[in-house]
Amino acid sequence: MDKKKKQLKRKVMIAAACAGVLVVLALLSGVIAPNDPYATNAALIRKGPSAAYLFGTDNLGRCVLSRVLVGARTTIAATFILVAISFVIGILVGMLCGFYGGIVDEVMMRIADLMLAFPQMVVAIAVAGILGGGLGGAMIALGITMWTSFARLARSHTLSIKNEPYIQAARLLGKSGPRILLIHIMPNILEPVLINALTQIGTTMIGISGLSFLGLGVVAPQAEWGSMINEARAYIQIAPWAVLFPAAATVITIIVFNYLGDAVMEYRKADQ
Amino acid sequence: MKKQIIKRIIELIIILIVLSFLTFLLMYLAPGDPAEKRLSSQGVAVTKEVLQAEQERMGLLRPFFVRYGEWFTGILRGDFGVSFKDDMPVSPKLVSGLKNTSILALASLILSLLVSVPLGILSAVKQNSILDHIVRILSFIGNALPNFLISVLLMYFFCIRLNLFPVVATGSVQGLCLPALSLAIPMAGRFTRQIRTETMEQLRQDYVTGLRVRGVREKDILIHNVFRNASGHIFTIVALQIGILMGGSVVIETIFRWPGIGKLVMDSINARDYPTIMGFVLIMGTIYVIINFLSDVLYHVLDPRV
Amino acid sequence: MKKRLTAFLLVICMFAAVFTACGSNQEENTAATGSSSAASADSQKAKGNEEGDNVLKTAASFAYPSLDVHKEYYGWYTSIYGLSEALFKFDESATAVDCLAEDAEADGTKWTITLKDGVTFSNGDPLTADVVIQNIQRLAEVNERFSYLGDFTWTAEDDLTITVDTGADVYPMLKNDLASPEAGMIDLDATKDFDKDPVCTGPFVITEFNPEGDVTVARNENYWGGDVKLDGAVFYYMQEDDPKLLAMQSGEIDCYNSVSSGALEVYEKEPDKYHVESVAGTRLQYYILNENRLDDSVRAAINLTVDKEAIAEYLKGTVSAATSPYPASTAYSNITIPAVDAEQAKKLLEDDGYTLGQDGIYEKDGNKLKLNICYYAARSLDTLAVLIQEQLKAIGIDSYLTVEEDPDSTYIATADFDLALYCMISDKCGDPQYFIDSTLADGAYYNVGGFKNDECQAMIEQLRVEVDPDKRAELANQIIQIAVDDNAFGYVGLFNHTTVMKPGVSGFAEKIPFDFYGVDANTVK
Repeated sequence: MDKKKKQLKRKVMIAAACAGVLVVLALLSGVIAPNDPYATNAALIRKGPSAAYLFGTDNLGRCVLSRVLVGARTTIAATFILVAISFVIGILVGMLCGFYGGIVDEVMMRIADLMLAFPQMVVAIAVAGILGGGLGGAMIALGITMWTSFARLARSHTLSIKNEPYIQAARLLGKSGPRILLIHIMPNILEPVLINALTQIGTTMIGISGLSFLGLGVVAPQAEWGSMINEARAYIQIAPWAVLFPAAATVITIIVFNYLGDAVMEYRKADQ
Repeated sequence: MKKQIIKRIIELIIILIVLSFLTFLLMYLAPGDPAEKRLSSQGVAVTKEVLQAEQERMGLLRPFFVRYGEWFTGILRGDFGVSFKDDMPVSPKLVSGLKNTSILALASLILSLLVSVPLGILSAVKQNSILDHIVRILSFIGNALPNFLISVLLMYFFCIRLNLFPVVATGSVQGLCLPALSLAIPMAGRFTRQIRTETMEQLRQDYVTGLRVRGVREKDILIHNVFRNASGHIFTIVALQIGILMGGSVVIETIFRWPGIGKLVMDSINARDYPTIMGFVLIMGTIYVIINFLSDVLYHVLDPRV
Repeated sequence: MKKRLTAFLLVICMFAAVFTACGSNQEENTAATGSSSAASADSQKAKGNEEGDNVLKTAASFAYPSLDVHKEYYGWYTSIYGLSEALFKFDESATAVDCLAEDAEADGTKWTITLKDGVTFSNGDPLTADVVIQNIQRLAEVNERFSYLGDFTWTAEDDLTITVDTGADVYPMLKNDLASPEAGMIDLDATKDFDKDPVCTGPFVITEFNPEGDVTVARNENYWGGDVKLDGAVFYYMQEDDPKLLAMQSGEIDCYNSVSSGALEVYEKEPDKYHVESVAGTRLQYYILNENRLDDSVRAAINLTVDKEAIAEYLKGTVSAATSPYPASTAYSNITIPAVDAEQAKKLLEDDGYTLGQDGIYEKDGNKLKLNICYYAARSLDTLAVLIQEQLKAIGIDSYLTVEEDPDSTYIATADFDLALYCMISDKCGDPQYFIDSTLADGAYYNVGGFKNDECQAMIEQLRVEVDPDKRAELANQIIQIAVDDNAFGYVGLFNHTTVMKPGVSGFAEKIPFDFYGVDANTVK
């Protein structure tokens, strides 16, 4: 058993290291990008991979490698922020519902149902129209359904520990509701919800690039993988590299984060 | 049970009313004017007078609540209204879109189950063999592929590189292959993983050991007992996917021009065709809520412990 | 662990194999695709010949739910399908010439239209003056854009002569307006289903109509204009560029227009397999400079900096650099604009008190010169936005981009922009007035950048009542020149009307700058 745990721990470490490398690459993308990701060049339109442009150039003569690197920052940052915000909102709502129950619980859970049925495209377009275009609209459109999964999870865990003796004791001691929530409940439900957040990263990334792909994400000329794939798809026959490299980057990143989520889950299961 | 169902139905109705109101409000707040979109659809500039007359004719100048109220009472009469895009009734458009989307969803479901059921069971039985590892890696990768990406790549390889599919095939059986495949691949990845876990769970049960001890052939155990017991759970997994599938097909239908409800709503949003969008929201909302309910029921039926 | 590694390596090998297979034989593969598609094209053709197939197959970028000529823009497509014809049609130089009618002449507020003798609908019914008037009245009723035609008084003098009284005002554009495809003629009495089966005069009749889908037409055996060369035509609905390119390569279609730049590159590599015809069209990309926000010097500097030729080069063959908003073949496109001159632009800014900051961006009174460039992601305007941003930055004008999904209700409505990109048809009926009325006249819907010039307005009023085409052109030239000299606008590019055809195909409206023509009696395959 111990050997198995060690193995799992190593798996987690490897996955975390890979994810770390990706994040660092994204953070340093401005420095390591070989060319200016936004500089257009009429003489270099749709040129294949070469020494100066390892991943080739796109239809405006921009360096695809540099754009993939800079795009990593956009995609990864947007994903992390979105997951973090949904996490905070979800855990708060879930704890409140689970702890107090009653009408608040009923109403919040129905709102959660409602949000699941909302067409993301309508939200994305409306938000982009009202608040101005950009990643914000796409993030809100995804966030509207995302917080609900955190809320449900936090709620069920809160429910399951709500009647534990130590919580009852705290109640009897006259501690206030918010205090109990913060000091006694939150630390105990944090771990499963955090792990859920970790496993959501891949899906979120798919969602964000999906909306960008439909033209509801980033504003030009900002580099983002989904929108790069969409732009380059029109001339895939002439310059397949402009699609294949951002596509590969998307897949690799999602695989790494999914793997990390799985590894942590397995590790935790073995722990119990 | 009866009480539960009635409660759910009342909830469903309230949810749909709130949902339709919010959608109407969002579309109302989003910039974009259906009359203007319609008049300049070919890029000819509009004039103020013509625009105003068209807005008047389409009833766009009336206050928000009057318009929502009118639409709502129409729905109560079973009338989804006429499209702002072309004055055609909305209901037949929704019905034909839903039909095509169902075909696509069904095809991709069958496709992914055909792959994932045998692979999932096989890899659970031959745990830790090379086959198991290959299946696991492939299903892991499949699960990580965004479906828009798959569709772009499939189009590239099958239509451009290999010339296997005709381009002029929208709505036909041949035209169904690639979009169904795009939806099926990530789904197959997910199913395989879940089926593998479920089968392993079953194999660990006492009854399997008991059967083995009694000398029942491994193959028979698998087919008659393990698969049968696991199939209920597989069914729940599939049911949960249908909602996601219906929503997720928007991207695929847009890319492949598949005439389903997802493409219809995308076109309608671009044209600010409120009646069609509202119809879509109602239908999808109903489907989501019903599926949620059914999966809850199934969960209780299959697992009496909960 | 070992097994897992083996599995992982196996999977990697699989992927590597797939990718190298695609990567390494890049060149040969293109060639192979080419030859195999040629082969399939040949087999297709052979098959076609066996069946005596003389049916043109093509792609349409739009598909509408109805064939009702008068409604919406459906008439554009009934015209493309060869079903409907109007009283006049446009020729290669965008002039309205005879079609169902011989001529139309104006005398003050009174127009006289002479119909051709012997024009019949596909069912043999003759086209008479009464039928024409009923059609125009229906058009005015069902199409808001043509409702003004209902304000005129239409009288049938005899079977072939119509007089039109335009009321108090002279209306010089009637002939051009009647050439619009929406003003196509329908046999109102014989038509049972306007949406699916209108009876018209064109060289083809509808055989299969799928709303918002594929359309099939067959030769009109009773065509009044003589023999129709094709047996029929099929219009596949393909909205995106890629499928059209693929279908052309695989021989599934014979021709199509509005070719994308990517596809153009493919066709031009094989001139013996594809015949490409390109004429400057009427779809204009331009920008509005906000006079309420930008100094004269800044606007002048922008117009001196934006390099239209360079932009056209990026859009490879799909767009021609524009001088005036109209196609260069027209008489009303004669204006002069200063050549691109970065030094002069900088000098103008510096003379006006701008100084170059540390970061290479001009500033005045401590304010950086930073423009808000608004655009929407269609008609290559996203490419324009990025390129204009780059070009301006090179001389020291900074900018940021704002993208809207719907320009008309955002930046066009609020005028909240410094530089706004827009694309519209500049010439819908062979006449300059429509574009001037839409963008330059006082209070016009698209005159949102604060352009106002009394002399110009006076000339616009004059243009509205001038009947003589030469004088109209002269007036239009002067009006546009004023707007250009004021640096109120920048006309960037005109989309080319580009058609690709298999060898042997011709007569697919490939030389006409408008988007609403397709097959006619002389189209051959």
